[in-house]
Amino acid sequence: MIEALQFGFIQHALLAGILVSFAAGVIGSLIVVNRMVFLAGGIAHSSYGGIGLAVFFGLPIFLGASIFAVGAAVLLAFLTMYKRHRIDTFIGLIWAVGMAIGVIFVDLTPGYNVDMMSYLFGSILAVSSADLYFMGILLGVILFVITFWYRDILAVSYDSEYAALRGVNVKFFYTLILILSALTVVVAIKVVGLILVIAMLTIPVYIAEKLSNSLLGMMFLSGLIAAIFTLIGLWFSYTYNLTSGASIILVSAALLGVFLLFYRGK
Amino acid sequence: MSVIDIEDLSFAYDSDPVLENINLHVQKRDFLAIIGPNGGGKSTLLKLILGLLKSKKGTIKVFGKAPSKNLSLIGYVPQNTNVNTDFPIKVIEVVLMGHVGNKNPLFGYGKDEIACAMGALSQVGMQAFAQSKIGSLSGGQRQRVMIARALCAHPKVLILDEPTSSIDIKGQKEIYELLKLLNQSITIIVVSHDISVILEYANKAAHVNKQLSFHDISDKKKTFHTHDNTGHFCEIELLQMLGAVECSSCDASDTSTSSVTNTNNNSLSEPVEGKSKWRETK
Repeated sequence: MIEALQFGFIQHALLAGILVSFAAGVIGSLIVVNRMVFLAGGIAHSSYGGIGLAVFFGLPIFLGASIFAVGAAVLLAFLTMYKRHRIDTFIGLIWAVGMAIGVIFVDLTPGYNVDMMSYLFGSILAVSSADLYFMGILLGVILFVITFWYRDILAVSYDSEYAALRGVNVKFFYTLILILSALTVVVAIKVVGLILVIAMLTIPVYIAEKLSNSLLGMMFLSGLIAAIFTLIGLWFSYTYNLTSGASIILVSAALLGVFLLFYRGK
Repeated sequence: MSVIDIEDLSFAYDSDPVLENINLHVQKRDFLAIIGPNGGGKSTLLKLILGLLKSKKGTIKVFGKAPSKNLSLIGYVPQNTNVNTDFPIKVIEVVLMGHVGNKNPLFGYGKDEIACAMGALSQVGMQAFAQSKIGSLSGGQRQRVMIARALCAHPKVLILDEPTSSIDIKGQKEIYELLKLLNQSITIIVVSHDISVILEYANKAAHVNKQLSFHDISDKKKTFHTHDNTGHFCEIELLQMLGAVECSSCDASDTSTSSVTNTNNNSLSEPVEGKSKWRETK
């Protein structure tokens, strides 16, 4: 195992896993406390549309997926504000339509035979330097936003009606959280893939929520737990030659089971 | 100056009116109970006062201005404090949310803000729980924290939506005693199903069921307590006001002396329409 660390692609994989874990821990905490898990799932799946478009027009995959996912996030934020009672319908719709667009545009791309499975289930061993920069910058942006607006985000997440009464722009922060979720989903595609990302955004967060007594603590603990799970998952993946994304998710789920077995708190 | 002035207010979500021709004037240091049946428009009225909804007809003024202009003078305690109890947040952080509108970015709060929040917590007798997780408190304790959060912003009027709906009898009494104490310096408005509020603590009552009937009940409290039949107010009438109990025994005798009007400026001694009005509004 140790000798594997000298390979550049393994180093990239480990660094990517850690960067994405912390981004997912912070954003996953916001997604869970705001009860946006299904929303995030919809955004994640619809981002496949962006991948299809990027393939068709020859754009960088990250760029296409980011633009499409952010578009879906803004659309869903808007729908949540004005069609609240039907939001689950719209999430399902955007979820499926986004994927359908992706599939069709990949079909329409002549001679394209790259394995699309890697976007669905992750390809952490193929992380490039550019991917790492993108992940690092996103984590930086997330940490800046959280630091700068922590009290507003906390108030909106805990009690949005009260926050609105105190003059906080709830719609702005709601949309901001969804946009950051969209971007986090896009960087996590490399690590676990867009279908499995939702587990990475929720399993560590669920454990951290039980062990934390502040949102800030929960965010960093989630990031730490996600990073540990990711590294263990990668080790499994490397040792037994298994798909990395699925390994990470199953390790996370198994350890969640162990945690629940021994955790006798509330 | 009045705390709240509502004139000729009507409101509808769709086409059916929820509130019609509401007039309400709340004075300084009033303790107003807003009562009425479910779906009668109590919460809608509250949201209008808080500026969360905008009316198409009529005016609402809070300290002489539109509600959204004077939000800082209103302290609000929401109805259900039992949601989000898994949220990892300490009591002190919940109270500090009272300051959230103030612009002071970067996480962490100013020393003055923390001192103010602790002051608000001690006002409601919860300072010992400042570092506890909100989910570990009982319903009554959580309600106190929410009141502290509202007090933290130094409001001139405190508005509570069903503050005791999820609290046991002992806790309810404690909450109302606390409100009574706070009422010495600020105006209190409580939306409640709980008739004991009206009997014991409120000095004004507004029954909302599409329309609003306003009552000054400050002088009648003793009468309620003693069940003094020679008094000029029928307790059953009050229950009818809540829409809870039909009155048959005091129908005839009390109609001439009860004070029921659809406006705000009725006085107690004024013999007016009588109970039939209650029935109409039900």
